[in-house]
Amino acid sequence: MSGPRASIDAWQGAILALLLAVLCAFIVYPVGRVLWISLSDDQSNLTLLHFANFFRRPLFRDALWNTLWSGFLVVLFSALFALPLAYVLARYEFRGKLLLQTAATLPLVIPPFVGAVALQLILGRSGMVNLLLMQGFGVSIPFMEGLAGVVLVQTLHFFPFIMLNTVVSLANIDSSLEEAAQNLGCHGLRLFRRVTLPLMLPGFIAGSLLTFIRAIDDLGTPLMLNYKNLLAPQAYLRITTIGMDDVDGYVVCVVLVVLSLAALLAARKYLSLAEYATVQRAAPITEKLQGATSALVWLVIVIVLGISLLPHIGIAVLSFAKVWSFTLLPETYTLGHYHEILFRVPHFVINTLIYTLLAAAIDIVLGATIAYLLLRTRLPGRNLLDAIATLPLAIPGVVLAVGYLRVFHGWDFPGAGGPLTSSWMILVIAYTMRRLPYTVRACYAALQQVHLALEESAQNLGANRWRTFVKITLPMITGGLIAGGLIAFITSCVELASTIMLVPRIELGPISYGIYLYMQSPLGRGAGAALGVVAILLVSAGTYLTHRVFGGRAGSAFRI
Amino acid sequence: MQAGEVTLEKVGKRYGEQWVVRRIDLHVERGEFFTLLGPSGCGKTTLLRMIAGFVQPDEGWVRIDGEPVNRVPPWRRDVGLVFQSYALWPHLSVFENVAFGLRERKLPADEIIRRVRAALNQVALTGTEERRPSQLSGGQQQRVALARTLVVQPRVLLLDEPLSNLDAKLRVEMRLELQKLQRDIGLTTIYVTHDQEEALALSTRIAVINQGRIVQQGEPRAIYEQPADDFVAGFIGQANLLPAIIEGLSEHSLQLITESGETLEISRSSLTASGAPFRAGDSIQLSIRPEAVRISDGGEQCAGPRLAGTIVASAYQGAFVEYEISVAKKTFKVRVANPKGKPLYRTGDRVQLTFALEDLVIVPRVVQ
Amino acid sequence: MKKGILLIGALWFMFVGNAIAKDVVIVTSFPKELFETYKKTFEAKHPGVNVVVNSKQTNAGVTYLRETRAKPEADIFWVSAPDAFQTLDSDGLLEKYAPPKEIMAKIPAKIGNFPIHDPEGKYFGFAISGYGLMWNKNYLKAHKLPAPKEWTDLTDPRYYNHLVISAPSRSGTTHLTIETILQAYGWDKGWALLLNSGGNMGSITERSFGVPEAVISGQYGIGVVIDFFGLSAIASGQPVEFAYPSLTSVVPASVGIVKGGPNPQEARMFVDYLLSEAGQTVLFAPEIARLPVIPELYAKAPKDYPNPFKRKLGGVEFNDQLSSSRRDVVNSLYDHIITYRHRELRDAWKAVYGAEAALGKSKSPQAAQGRNLAAEARKLLTQAPISDKRAADKEVTGAFRSKSGLKSQLETEWENFARGNYGKAKELAEKALAAAR
Repeated sequence: MSGPRASIDAWQGAILALLLAVLCAFIVYPVGRVLWISLSDDQSNLTLLHFANFFRRPLFRDALWNTLWSGFLVVLFSALFALPLAYVLARYEFRGKLLLQTAATLPLVIPPFVGAVALQLILGRSGMVNLLLMQGFGVSIPFMEGLAGVVLVQTLHFFPFIMLNTVVSLANIDSSLEEAAQNLGCHGLRLFRRVTLPLMLPGFIAGSLLTFIRAIDDLGTPLMLNYKNLLAPQAYLRITTIGMDDVDGYVVCVVLVVLSLAALLAARKYLSLAEYATVQRAAPITEKLQGATSALVWLVIVIVLGISLLPHIGIAVLSFAKVWSFTLLPETYTLGHYHEILFRVPHFVINTLIYTLLAAAIDIVLGATIAYLLLRTRLPGRNLLDAIATLPLAIPGVVLAVGYLRVFHGWDFPGAGGPLTSSWMILVIAYTMRRLPYTVRACYAALQQVHLALEESAQNLGANRWRTFVKITLPMITGGLIAGGLIAFITSCVELASTIMLVPRIELGPISYGIYLYMQSPLGRGAGAALGVVAILLVSAGTYLTHRVFGGRAGSAFRI
Repeated sequence: MQAGEVTLEKVGKRYGEQWVVRRIDLHVERGEFFTLLGPSGCGKTTLLRMIAGFVQPDEGWVRIDGEPVNRVPPWRRDVGLVFQSYALWPHLSVFENVAFGLRERKLPADEIIRRVRAALNQVALTGTEERRPSQLSGGQQQRVALARTLVVQPRVLLLDEPLSNLDAKLRVEMRLELQKLQRDIGLTTIYVTHDQEEALALSTRIAVINQGRIVQQGEPRAIYEQPADDFVAGFIGQANLLPAIIEGLSEHSLQLITESGETLEISRSSLTASGAPFRAGDSIQLSIRPEAVRISDGGEQCAGPRLAGTIVASAYQGAFVEYEISVAKKTFKVRVANPKGKPLYRTGDRVQLTFALEDLVIVPRVVQ
Repeated sequence: MKKGILLIGALWFMFVGNAIAKDVVIVTSFPKELFETYKKTFEAKHPGVNVVVNSKQTNAGVTYLRETRAKPEADIFWVSAPDAFQTLDSDGLLEKYAPPKEIMAKIPAKIGNFPIHDPEGKYFGFAISGYGLMWNKNYLKAHKLPAPKEWTDLTDPRYYNHLVISAPSRSGTTHLTIETILQAYGWDKGWALLLNSGGNMGSITERSFGVPEAVISGQYGIGVVIDFFGLSAIASGQPVEFAYPSLTSVVPASVGIVKGGPNPQEARMFVDYLLSEAGQTVLFAPEIARLPVIPELYAKAPKDYPNPFKRKLGGVEFNDQLSSSRRDVVNSLYDHIITYRHRELRDAWKAVYGAEAALGKSKSPQAAQGRNLAAEARKLLTQAPISDKRAADKEVTGAFRSKSGLKSQLETEWENFARGNYGKAKELAEKALAAAR
């Protein structure tokens, strides 16, 4: 083998090697250091002593149990809420369907820790609902106490993930499989149980497992609700308070990673099972709803809409409130908070835009390159690259941040004027790496649609590889690239876990850091809420654009 | 279980403004093998799904054994549908796939086992009970789908292009098997296909469907030899179309003059009963099959007309040779069977075409 | 394509190239309202100097300075708790400095018995703070609760689930409050008070700001806070009140220069400014509401402003050597027997209160027995697992600074102690309740 073929392969090989190096430096190595510290003693020998200590301490055992239990409850309640909704949305036509779809996805645009603050106002000890209950009946219901509060907030935020996932799973079922069963005499609940459910189950389980990972990764909600007895807040607290030499923090991180990794691998397995039931025929069968059922559906729509909108309303009201203390609604209002965050300290908003857009752009480039290497070359090591690029799904934000702090503080990075950890670049890197799996998947799916024959015919007509890529491939995958970038953008806008650990100075903080900061100031909740509203608007805009690009298949954007 | 009969009475279906099935009337007798034949998008699958109950007609009635079934849901119609994609459930074994309908009918376990085994035996798939559909070949999957439907002994068997996903050789094999199976069981069968060879080979009767309407119904031979219009003539087999004008008529014959100036006299008895009375001056269309046209290089005596032409293309197919011959402004397709011993013409050769007048058929143009 | 490069280049310079202006980098635990005001006024006075704030909670700040000692990135450490400064000093992380005489002359040497500045000039007091109780008027009215006056009031059963405090390990100022209570009432009585009030706490927050926030928002009725939280909230119109208990300590919040920081000159300018009259007057701003260290400035103070130099605040001679030496031990002890076991503690106290209330009204023949059981339960709930002396022991305090096994061992001991005691107390209380019926 020689000549142009070999030089192309050499180029591709070089790119692959470069990508591997970059990903290893920013994903594998930091996490590896965390793992190493948790497994080594003062003399750098391998030991399981720290893990043994972890399991001996009731504090950590409780945190582990609470984490598993709350993650499970979140998935359970989300599924209970989401499954019927998904079935109705996937299989029925009715007036108000679009409204229901929108209502059910509203919780996605409000980051969970912002939702936590809002729900505190509405369902908290002295929130609207309890004030009314106390005035009326003299009782108060502890909605938001302890673990229940965390589970409530997370359920309200995550149920749309499960719902969207399930809608896609249902839509992907070949309708002739259900018709064949009907033809043989099966219908109604029996049909659902014998045919529909088993076919949609793998996709649904995969979605649930991914939701579980997100729930246990969530650092913001427990911090906002002041509930520390979970793994993520414990890791954060130990590292920041006791210091980077505290081994227990690292052990907690490793436990979190193990849990997430196990869930991710299980999800992968279920997703591959789900592929076998994919669609042959185009449109799924839908029925029209009439009469009494239709009225029932409207009732459901109102309830779902109400519940979904609670956090948004709470945050919006708070952002305009001047004095709101132990009363149903604020006593005085002001526009001052918006003035504060938009004019006086606009850097939170500006930083968010810069970091997230930059991270999304880098992710698109990386994602497209990796997808290309996976689908269009036979280079050895490309599957390894894919695996590493997907790894961040199983690495909680806390863990990545801890790894970065450990690895990068102390040695100067050229051009950053100091260690990487004291520059804004560390945030961009964290966002880029954490969202890479989404863009890789989106680019991969987009590139898969472009048949090799389309590129080969261009080459046959005289275009070289580069021109073929630019004139044929790129236009065809642009939609997928943009969608991937948008997802990276949306999710980075409200990333909190890595952010609060990595922000070197206030001026370099993005919106999520700003919210956290403002919420720490007893008189700053209003401005924090205003930032929350801005975050919601950004995410809504991004989500809307994603819908436009993806069409009705937006749900598939959230599957991996 | 008695084989059923199916009647469609003025059945129509529209999607939005578009009518995909227009006032269809047809009746399928007990034990018949009835084929709905037509090009893609002509509405034949919609018709089949209306009989199965997955599509509601906007007009007209579907009757099975005389009973109107418009309001009967698919799971109670007792008609068996074999899907084009087979629709085997990937999460169930072959045995469970076939047993599905029996389980719905709540038959006792041992009877289920007995009947499933028998059904698999009938389609020559004994021994595959525990496999998953994904482990079977296309032909085997198709047979499982068939077994699954037959095992519940439906009144009517509906088949939606069951052979279209198989490769050519397998298709022919399966066709024979289907035919044998249907004859053995005697089940009323309604078959949908776009492949005219299958239709001709399998059917008791064929309904040719174009743009939602039945263009012609009848036995295969009648449809082939006396097509109702130029669409049927061209869709089933091939046809060479000759426009002509009626010069004169008599009680027994018509005098025609073709486009290329040839004068022909055809006896009325060989015309199709298309119904329209002929008048002098009418312009009509004649059709002749490629295999009815003979090529000679002159010098032969023959009774019919002669046309002179030039070979434009030739395709040797082993059992026959197909020629495209340009005659005046038209292109004639000619098929010469059993070419062994006969000369093979090449592009550019001048030849003479001749045919028997009885082989001419008048086919009206399709009204748009 | 070109435009993109230009844009990125511009952004790069905007952030990295900012090194051209002079900076002073401050690590502080103070709230936004305070440091932003000081940033504004200082930069107005010294144009060309850029104030960069790195907001960190006190302990995290100490940890941060320790971890970056090889190449310090900060110039100033600026927090409320003096013992944090002592810790840093003993680690050799602070720079000695002598501000100009005119400035130092205006500031007295002590407040009460507490020195305002470090005698060795490593850190300087710039504001005085006292510790007290803050409550929400609407809340107390709605729940029909009396306003609190003393620390001991916090043990009142009526306040069950209405109090809020932040964990001393997460709040330098709360740690000082705890130390104040321990020093005011003695180790054993002090822990009894802490355990009892701990049982009354509805929540133990992670951040010191969580307490005033909870009280202002009406989530809880009464919070243990540093004075300026209460005063600034009142000044901004919130329906809250603040009071100093009679036994409280008054200590300075300080500022110190980090050894080896990148901008030493600007750091000194900042310290001078803080201690100058101009800088001190800023403390009167309603959103800051702190007490200056220059006595004569109080003539210009707003109406009814507390004056620590006149008023007899205190009553406790705060021994800050003791405080800083056992700081880690006290924090960890509080966490392990109160914070991490909060639910069990609360449940146990609830049971005890219930039993005591029932026994008070009971005419049952077993009532006397019940009272004994209740008293025993109470005893279990007011014990510390380690003695005063041992807690101050060098071996123990040293263990808490390192990764040593003794720390882990003690912590596990305390956890088990707490769990065991609280469970047993609850059982006894339930038995007592049964006896009352």
